[in-house]
Amino acid sequence: MDEKSNPVYKDQRFGQSRELLFSYDKDGNFEKTVGFHGEPDRVILQQAWDHFNERIADAREKVLAGKVSPIVYYMEKNLVDTLNLSMLAGISLWRVKRHYKPNVFKRLNDKTLQKYAVAFNISVEELKKVD
Amino acid sequence: MVKLEFEHRQAGHCESGVTSNLLNYYNYKISEPMAFGIGAGLFFSYLPFMKMQHAPTTSFRVWPGMIFERATKMLGVKTMVHHFKDPKESMTKLNEVLEQGYPVGLQVGTFHLPFFPPEYRMHYNMHNMVVYGHDNGTYFISDTLMEKLVEISYDDLMRVRYAKGTFAPQGRMYYPVYVPKEIDIKPAIISGIRKTAYNMSGVPFPLVGAKGIRYLSRRMRKWEKNLGPEKASYYLGQVLRMEEEVGTAGAGFRFIYGAFLDEASLVLNQDWLKEMSIEMGENANKWREFSYYGSRNCKKRGKPDQSYDFLADMLLECADREEKIFKKLAKIK
Repeated sequence: MDEKSNPVYKDQRFGQSRELLFSYDKDGNFEKTVGFHGEPDRVILQQAWDHFNERIADAREKVLAGKVSPIVYYMEKNLVDTLNLSMLAGISLWRVKRHYKPNVFKRLNDKTLQKYAVAFNISVEELKKVD
Repeated sequence: MVKLEFEHRQAGHCESGVTSNLLNYYNYKISEPMAFGIGAGLFFSYLPFMKMQHAPTTSFRVWPGMIFERATKMLGVKTMVHHFKDPKESMTKLNEVLEQGYPVGLQVGTFHLPFFPPEYRMHYNMHNMVVYGHDNGTYFISDTLMEKLVEISYDDLMRVRYAKGTFAPQGRMYYPVYVPKEIDIKPAIISGIRKTAYNMSGVPFPLVGAKGIRYLSRRMRKWEKNLGPEKASYYLGQVLRMEEEVGTAGAGFRFIYGAFLDEASLVLNQDWLKEMSIEMGENANKWREFSYYGSRNCKKRGKPDQSYDFLADMLLECADREEKIFKKLAKIK
């Protein structure tokens, strides 16, 4: 898997963009500064990405063990939850949940698979296995 | 091929920045905090039943689109807003409007935005930016979060305009069509302050305004016991991310609002607003302190550095301060 197709952020690239930040000093002046985010902001962003990466690794293991279908892995990789996935793919919520079962996933027709593939921006062949 | 002469100014918040930049194009100088204050952008709500990225939603701003709508309405600026079902149709309309010489504001989702810093590419559908020209399938963008002007291709733009999920933008585009020569800004400021004061201290509903902050503080005390240390720190992190990251210019818009009160005191010639702005600044610094101590809990996962009671007390203090400030501001004349 190459760097570009991986949406998950890696921590060594932190602080590439500068933003406009406001601050307030004791004399009653509000100041604008263009700068990088500070340490606390990086910590909380990193926490979110750690959380996502953990969920992805978790889902991958489960798929390889045959407990859930690859849809779960790609869902976590695209950082969405079940409700948003059903909106993305245009498939009703209970059907999406049902497709998490490996046995049900095996019997899916091409039309439904295509819907998921479009939602995840990958091909149908890729959808059937995890990388 | 169209390329309008659009002045790009970086801003703390996307929507108020877009509003001020669009009005600036029509030679009406309005600063970003001013646009934010008149649009009554400040808000607080905590919605535990609505999950966003696996944690309850905390919002420090009003509904997307409200700031632009309110600010232009109060200033007497006539605008056009479009929604489309068909993506292709919306792009054709966009080209048409650009060729007529209007820069256009767009609501987009951030997940597929190619020029966006990678650390922010989560599913967040409330981002705003301005298109000021197009050339053969390339669109010229002024994004207030970025330092420089950027470009985007036709397919990418269509994709981000039709991002799906909560608060889906549905190709929403908006632009001012008529800006009056003489604008009386004073009633607009007063109305904006009144609206914010009502939102923050007068709504009879426990999840919004100062009451919402108290509610969050009550819930926070139970997090560690009910959810376990790991999940509690993630929930706390979510509150802090909504407060500090997603384009708030720090402390959940409290700094911008303080700057607005500062400016308003000069325009309206009312000295007590200056005092209010100082109180607002101190309040904002308190929020900053909260996020500083809170982030330490997020760093060592599962091993809280500060107890949740300590953080909840800090929130209570913020709630008291804000209620006091906005009850006073509600009496503005």
